[in-house]
Amino acid sequence: MSRPGFVLDVDDRTPPLIVHEGLGFRLENFPLGTRVVYPPESLPAVPDVDQAIVEALLHPQDMDPLPELLFAGMKLTIAFDDISLPLPTMRPPDIRGRIIEHVLTMAADAGVDDVELIAANALHRRMTAAELKHIVGERVFRSFYPQGKLYNFDAEDRDNLSHLGTTEKGEDIEISKRAAESDLLVYVNVNLVAMDGGHKSVGIGLASYKSLRHHHNAKTMVQSRSFMDHKHSAMHHSAWRIGRVIKDTVKVFQIETTLNNDIFPKPYDFLQKREWEWSLKDQGTMLAMRRGLSVAPPKLKHKMFHDVRSVYGLTGVNAGEVEAVHTKTLEKVHQQHLVEVQGQSDVLVMGIPYVGPYNVNSSLNPILATCMGLGYYFNSYIGQPVVRKGGAVILYHPLNEGFNQLHHPSYVDFYEEILAESTDPAVVGEKYEQQFAEDPWYRHLYRTSHAYHGVHPFYMWYWAAHAMDHVDEVIWVGADRKVASRLGFRAATTLADALEMASGTVGTSPSITYLHNPPQLLAHVR
Amino acid sequence: MSTPSKGLVRGGIDDVRQVARGWRWGRRSQVPRSAEEFVPPAKSTVFPSDWSRRRPAMAAREVAQKAALQPLFRSQVRTQVDGLDVLERIEGPVIFVANHASHLDTPLILLSLPDEWRRRTAVAAAADYFFDTWWRAVGSSLFFNTFPLDRRGGTMAATPGEVLADGWSLVIFPEGTRSTDGWMGKFRMGAAFLAKEHGVPVVPVAHRGTYAAMPRGQDWPSRGRRQLTIRFGEPLVAGADESVRDFAPRIKDAVAALLDEDRTTWWEARQRVAAGAVPDPSGPPVAQWRRVWEQTESPVADAPTKRLAAWRR
Repeated sequence: MSRPGFVLDVDDRTPPLIVHEGLGFRLENFPLGTRVVYPPESLPAVPDVDQAIVEALLHPQDMDPLPELLFAGMKLTIAFDDISLPLPTMRPPDIRGRIIEHVLTMAADAGVDDVELIAANALHRRMTAAELKHIVGERVFRSFYPQGKLYNFDAEDRDNLSHLGTTEKGEDIEISKRAAESDLLVYVNVNLVAMDGGHKSVGIGLASYKSLRHHHNAKTMVQSRSFMDHKHSAMHHSAWRIGRVIKDTVKVFQIETTLNNDIFPKPYDFLQKREWEWSLKDQGTMLAMRRGLSVAPPKLKHKMFHDVRSVYGLTGVNAGEVEAVHTKTLEKVHQQHLVEVQGQSDVLVMGIPYVGPYNVNSSLNPILATCMGLGYYFNSYIGQPVVRKGGAVILYHPLNEGFNQLHHPSYVDFYEEILAESTDPAVVGEKYEQQFAEDPWYRHLYRTSHAYHGVHPFYMWYWAAHAMDHVDEVIWVGADRKVASRLGFRAATTLADALEMASGTVGTSPSITYLHNPPQLLAHVR
Repeated sequence: MSTPSKGLVRGGIDDVRQVARGWRWGRRSQVPRSAEEFVPPAKSTVFPSDWSRRRPAMAAREVAQKAALQPLFRSQVRTQVDGLDVLERIEGPVIFVANHASHLDTPLILLSLPDEWRRRTAVAAAADYFFDTWWRAVGSSLFFNTFPLDRRGGTMAATPGEVLADGWSLVIFPEGTRSTDGWMGKFRMGAAFLAKEHGVPVVPVAHRGTYAAMPRGQDWPSRGRRQLTIRFGEPLVAGADESVRDFAPRIKDAVAALLDEDRTTWWEARQRVAAGAVPDPSGPPVAQWRRVWEQTESPVADAPTKRLAAWRR
């Protein structure tokens, strides 16, 4: 039986608590009275994954069973979430591959010949063949990749995009032509957190810049409160408007999966235990790991963490009509992530781990670290932010990983040139987004190499717009001062220093809340 | 706070220090108060204790108790033992039933018993407290003759019935846990049930001063060789028609009367028993601090006899 999440009040009995900071972690003694939000423990996994998948495909929500939608001579497209999900990467076999195998088995039985598989990576980097293979599995990869029928979506391939019209608010809908012209589009997702899935899958995953710019902008993001709560997220409202238009044109069979919180395999499993329940072995492992990390060269540290493959258990799989499926999916996600939190606090503390959606097999550069902290973690709430308006946010990350030139070339220019001029999301978007989005060199790298699209760093900065608008002070503990300053923030050596620095904003005895993630949590702040 | 840049040795020492302090190495771990309701029910990983009642363990215990525990105990506290003559009139096994105020109670009772009784007496100890790790299980079995008793009513490796059937006497603290203020708490019915079930007599035992010497939360007796007193009472046997429900209060009353006797005299205590005026062993209904205050005072032993000090127990 998994225990629910809860809010710990730090008292004299509380041992030091783990705080992630990039390629490492530290033990922090929080001031007495600090609230610490712990996620629920892992939900039990479904006992038979294959049976659960078949069950979902044969008894979908508000749609005919999949075999009835398949017929000889049809055009079938299977789209799936890219490497940004789940985090960390799943130990093989990936759940998407297992689902795709079942879909293909049914398609083969129905005599379907024209099948293409598209990774819905939107403006993310193209995945390598090995990464694609990891997701779809060897069998699917061998059957489709050499023939060019398994590929990354290219949002800059004008000939293979299809404009489906506009929403009632004038938002362009431009998605993959193959998907738009298919008799059936099957979308296989991994709903790791509440913001994923629903109309965001096809409407964003297979869309071009022309379509994405309508909701991926500072104005929309400031109004998304939070983007983990699709009913109160302007970004999701836009995606839902777009999705409903797509639904009129394309028959979408959505398959959504939910995972439990088993993200750290042995010997890292102590990282997801409650500290006071650590055994002597856990304490020893932690001590050994900290010593190892203190002497390991950066490359080895990177390898240690990025080689972690999570042993997620599948908690649910639902298929059928997008909105009906997503309602079911969110129930499961909330069951796994939701924690009740009473009231806001003056200071919000978060530790940024080594991986986010955009640095799988890559480095967490300062812009991505900001996106993780002020974007994803800050927005891990329903109701109201965990920190009050005008409060302070304290983040842990050294901000010293630098930029991966292969994956994040436009980030370098964004950091060196754009942030040097302004760190205001609205200002930089207004002035420079278009230029980066249409830059031919970035476009070339996005299409032919493994680079994120030129406009992507702007999106990262927009993710953080709501937090930047909401709080008055952002302080990074243990960070490179120059880097923090370039981002428009301040750096402190210790938590005590950071609280001292924040005292001008929140006073000398502020209420503090620490979000103890990963594993994922979603604070329901009353 | 240690940072990774401190170097292997320096940082390592800092880390170990922080962990040793944070996780209370060498002491029982603690759960933050706000997390207590989320602690999962303890798994019954109780270590077997049968070995501790076999010959090699008994020999080892004899050495441990005579060469280590007894000198140490006597160096820390003074004791006065009364009523041992009752043991001359009965044969084991019996169940010793005593009030429970401190971790000193067990060594006090054991070391007060005549050697031949002590060697064949086992102490029922909370399984979740004394038998949760192998080293605690071994340590407490070796020094204190303990065997695990589940306070929550689960199944155990050895039942008290089996221990009694082997011819061992038992020490049971029917309160189930140490008193928080030194006064006697409610008695559970386990001891009465066992006595009735196995047809063995119950020897009431009352002791005073252990709370004053080493209350809950203290892990070593207070300085100054505090006085402890212990008194063994007349054996009680459950009547043929007497139910456990009737027998249990009788045991409690006997312990209460013994406490009264220990505080005053045998004659006065008898009179109060006859008049039904035995002072309530759970203490007066006064402010908590006054209850604690009264119990923190060590009992005064009888005037020292003229015997040589070396002869005194």
